[in-house]
Parts: sequence; C-alpha cells; structure tokens
Amino acid sequence: MKRKAVLGIGAVALAGLLGGCAFGGTGTSSGGSTPDGPVTLTFQSLAYQDSTVAATKEIVDSWNADHPDIQVNLTQGSWDNVHDQLVTQFQGGTAPDIIHDESSDIMGFANQGYLADLSPYLSDDVKNAVSDDVWDTVTTSDGKIVAAPTLLQTYVVFANKDAFAAAGVDLPSGDQLTWDDLAADAKKLTANGNYGVGWGLKQPTAAVMNTSLGFDGTFFDVKDDGSATIDVGDDELAVPEAIHSMAYDDSSLDPVTLTQSGSDVLPGFLGGKYAMYIGGNFLAQQIGESAPAGFNWTVLPPLAGSAGPVQAANPQTMSVSAQSKYPEQATEFIDYFMNADNQAKLAQGDWLIPTSAPARDLVAEQTGADSVWVPILKTGEQLKGAPFQKATNYPQWKDQYATPGLQQYFSNSIGLDQLKQQLTDGWSSIG
Amino acid sequence: MTQAVATVPRQRRPFRVARPFQYLALAGYIVFLGFPLLFLLTTAFKTPQELQSPNPTFLPTTFNVDNFAAAIEKANLIHAAGNSLFVAVFTTVIVTLISLPAAYALARFKTKLRGVATGWILLSQVFPFILIIIPLFLVLKQIGLINNLFGLILVYTVWSLPFALWMLQGYVAGIPAELEEAGAMDGASRIRILRSIVLPLLGPGLVATSLFTFISSWNEFFFALVLIQDPNLQTLPLTLARFVGAEGQVQLGQLAAASLLATIPSLAFFALIQRRLTSGLMSGAVKG
Repeated sequence: MKRKAVLGIGAVALAGLLGGCAFGGTGTSSGGSTPDGPVTLTFQSLAYQDSTVAATKEIVDSWNADHPDIQVNLTQGSWDNVHDQLVTQFQGGTAPDIIHDESSDIMGFANQGYLADLSPYLSDDVKNAVSDDVWDTVTTSDGKIVAAPTLLQTYVVFANKDAFAAAGVDLPSGDQLTWDDLAADAKKLTANGNYGVGWGLKQPTAAVMNTSLGFDGTFFDVKDDGSATIDVGDDELAVPEAIHSMAYDDSSLDPVTLTQSGSDVLPGFLGGKYAMYIGGNFLAQQIGESAPAGFNWTVLPPLAGSAGPVQAANPQTMSVSAQSKYPEQATEFIDYFMNADNQAKLAQGDWLIPTSAPARDLVAEQTGADSVWVPILKTGEQLKGAPFQKATNYPQWKDQYATPGLQQYFSNSIGLDQLKQQLTDGWSSIG
Repeated sequence: MTQAVATVPRQRRPFRVARPFQYLALAGYIVFLGFPLLFLLTTAFKTPQELQSPNPTFLPTTFNVDNFAAAIEKANLIHAAGNSLFVAVFTTVIVTLISLPAAYALARFKTKLRGVATGWILLSQVFPFILIIIPLFLVLKQIGLINNLFGLILVYTVWSLPFALWMLQGYVAGIPAELEEAGAMDGASRIRILRSIVLPLLGPGLVATSLFTFISSWNEFFFALVLIQDPNLQTLPLTLARFVGAEGQVQLGQLAAASLLATIPSLAFFALIQRRLTSGLMSGAVKG
C-alpha cells in the first residue's frame, strides 16, 4: 500500500516535469501576426550609465507618445548576466520582444533559431547607414540579419598630457599610433618609479583578439556551419608579444596592471603613476567623472599594427526574438531607435561610437573639436568583423584556454612558444 | 593539642595563560567579520574622486550622501526591499512550519526511510542551480508562476527546506529523549510533549534555522533573475546588479550605498532574534 502511494506520487511528479518540458519553447519563429488592436512590446535594455538609462527612457517615451498602436514596455537588464537570462527565457518562450545585447553573444542564439530575421523589415536608411563590415557581425552564414548594430567599443590609449610635457615627449598626433611608437614613447616616459603604460588585462582575451586584427591576426578560419580551424602564427602573436616586451624587456609597462581590471588601473593613471592608460573607450566616462581638478588628459590616435588601425567590431545590438508575435512592429521600433538623433544621444552617454555614419557625423558636430571625441570617433572608422565572432566554440576556448594561457604569458610564467601551443591544442581539444 | 589542618592544594585554573590569546583570537575574528561592513560604510560616503584617488583614505573626507540619493532613485530600492521582505518572510515561515515536524520525525522515529531521506537531503544540495533552472522554469511557466512572487517563494522553499531540515533534526536529536519520556510518564500526549517540552527547548535551533532561511532567501539572485521579469516585482539583489556594467565597470559608491541599505533588514532581523540564539537552556534539565 505504502509502496503504491510512493510510486503514485513519483509518477505524478514525473508527469508534471515531463509535461512542463514538453510545452517549452523550441526557438522556432512563430512568424508575424496581424494585430487586431494596439500592440504591446517588451524591450529589455542593458543601458548602464545614468545618462544612457535616461536617454533610453526618453526614446521609449517619445516613441510611445507618437505610436499609440505600438506601445513599448521598457525593462532594465544587466550586462553581467544577460546571457544566462536569455538562455532560460528562450527555452521557456518568455524572452522580451526586443533584445539588447552584443554581437559576440547573440550569434549563438541566432544559430539556434531564437532570433528573427530583420532583413525584410529594416528600412533602407538604416541598412545604408552602417558599413558592410559591421553588418557582417550580425549576419548569419545563410544571410539573415539577426540584429541592428548600435554602438561600438574600441581599445584606445588615454594620455596624461602633463606627464608627456614633463618628460619632454611630444604628444602623438596624426591618423594613427603604431605599436612601435607606443613602445618608444612608453620607454621615454618611464622614470622615477612611474611607468609609461598601465593596462588592465585581467581578462586579456577580448583585447588581444580585437587589436590583433591590426596585424592581420585572425586566429580562425571559420566555415559556414560555425566550425573553425585555428592558426596561431606571427600575426596572431604580435600583440601579446608587444605587450610582454613592454612589460618585461623595456619595463615601461607596469606588469602588476596586467593582473588587474581596467577600473583597478584607473587610480594609477589619475595619480600620475602611468602616463598612458589603455582600455575601452567607455572608460572616458569614468575618467571625466573621477579625475581630480586640473587633470589634463586626452585620447591618442588609434593604435595601428602592420595592417593599419584595424580592430574587431563587436557592436551592441538590438534584436527581435523569433518567438515575438510582432517582429515587424518590433523592427519598426528598432528602426526608430537607430535614427541619428537617438544614436548620437546614446553614444555620448556611454562614450561609445555609433555604427551609423549619420549618427557619427552628428556626434562629431555636437562635440566639436573635443580632443577626446575626435580620436575616439576616428578609431571607429576601421572596424570590421573578426572570424572569432562566428566560431561556435569560441566562448569555451576563450574561457578554458585563451584567457588562462594569456594570463600565464603576461605574468611571465610561460614563453611565447608555450602560449602558441596552449592556444592551438586548446582549440583542437574542443573543436 | 594541635589540630592538623589539612591544606587543600590550590587548584590551578586551567588555561589561565591561554585566556589572553583566546580574547585576541576573538578580537581578530570580529575584525575579520566586521571589516567588510565597515568598508561598505566608508565607501558609501565617498565621492567618485575619492574612490579613484591614487592615495585612498579609509575614511571619507566629507560625508557625502549623494550615493544614497542616487541609489534609492535609480534602483527603486524601497519597493525592491518590500518584495524581498515579502518573499523572505513567507519562505521562512513556510520552511519552518514544514521542517519542524519533519525534523522531529527524522530525529525520533527509527524507520528505514530515515537513512534514505537523510541521503536525499544531502544529495539535493549538490545540484548546481544552472543544472535545474531550465526544467524548473518550464514547470513554473506551465503552472503560471513565472513573474510571480509566489513562484519565487515556492522555489526558495524547496531549495531551503533540505538544509533547514538537516539543521533542525540535529537540534532535535540534541534534546534528551528522557525529557519526553518523563512527559509521557505524566500522561502527556505526543502533541503536548512537542508543544510543552520540545518546542521551548528547540528555540535556539528554530531561530538559527529561520535566520539561515531568511538570509538565503533575502540574498538569492540567480532564480530571481530568471523567474522575475516585471520591474515592479524585482527583488533587492536584482536591483543591486544594475550598478555593475560591462567589462567590470562598477558604480562603487552607489553600489556600496545600496548594499548598505540592503543589509539593514537582515541586521534588524538578526538583532531582534539573536538573544534567542543563546543555548544553554537545557543545562541541568536532566539529572545525571
């Protein structure tokens, strides 16, 4: 009797569990529907800086005021955990209609069929405003555009102008700053316990992969299905070698900073310990906010390798869930979000570069000859898609092999040959 | 006639030399536990310039309250705290009501199920959240408990119950069975024994278990992140995540201010019940 009861309870629990799973989302598109009445869409924004949060709210409010038939509900998400959240929501069929993320994160979802193809709905104005190289980062191998690329981050060199003046070193100017010139200036600026460069490379992979394109360092050859082969040669190792050389041969880059995050290194830059500080352009916001009165800083020309000042484009994106009933209306909102006025407002809030040329022009116009914005906008001119963004197993390789390998190399625990071996063997073991 | 006076040798106090070291260790432990809270307190009052200063000071130069104002306004902290409090209190009450009789049964009734139940309790604690979140999400969706605080309460109850049960059955086992036998000899029923003998002696254990359940529900982030999408239903840990951006950016002053405000209910709850945590209620209850 007791056993029957136990078995009965077990069977009910199992049926409930299987029933729950059976009705879960499958990630297939439900296609567009024709609305009978007003449509309500959910939009999860990841805006972080106060000014960008306010700008996003302003854009949504103005849209809602002008479009009573397509109302957008704004919710706030967080960059830190958006991936885990989306995985679950796609599985359960509860993802927001409009999704804010970045291209390197969404392509995996796109390959699983969770994102709608926006190409039939995006306006020609938006399509023409963004370069083909950037569109490439949000286009699947079968030609579906799964997002509108909005804002871009690049790696820039911030400089303490007073430190340059005190050392008698001319502030670099022109269209680009070569890695050799960076190393030479860093040497001249290293004296009295202060270093030429501080660079927070606690998580080194993204910075290395992005800037390696400046040497034609592509790392991967990716096929249409996302499978890839790795080739780590001199071009791919040029950036790690340059960083290592400044830290351990020239002693012009503080090796301690290589174990810290970008934010950890900032006080050293503001305090004059580092004449140059390398990091994402968004750090300009923090510098502007935290710099002591009279701190004299600027952004140097874009870093350039043998292939020029090229970096990988990993834009923030606006996608539509394939499970959304109203992809056309959702894309209409994205179109509006992408207009030059809105993008310029958002870009200035986050100190990021708009992907759209008209928005970039508008930022240039609104910021005038600002010594920080001019070089930041310049770094956005030569961005292109990188193969690693389309390699299916890249996130796993990055976490398990590339990051530990680069960390060991930057702490001088292993040599360049061992790094090359680790990167190559790591890919083979998961490929 | 002289009486021989027996001299009783003076007893040496054991560990007399060790006492200062014990106090020193205790002081060190208090500093270790208290420092993060103190750091939070000083950080919350610092300006962005002070937080990024290359020569940081432990104490803020001025007590600037901008971080608190910004944190309350930006993250809707008061509303989120209300949601967290609702979920944590409900979970604590349900877990306590279920685990009390279950723990008593586990501790006192020697059945074959006991070993199996105990094993399952321990086993349930080794599953990582990420492993169960998708099936759990799908099941909750089917019964309409996504985006619902009661769904969160249900999950937290299921998640906290095994450990609470495990804790509480240890406390029950620590109550001498002779006390219950004495009650039974006087004609008390099982319920009466539970109410008049076991429950009063179980006070500290119940308090400790409730505290554990409350704090773990109050602080839980991952389930809330996945199950709650409505901004009006977000709990405190979700709103605190807004102060952390991409690439390790943190609005440290505002985050410290918000975190400090978020710890107040937990501290208040602990202050309210900490006196009940003192054990020793049972000393001398049974004559040797």
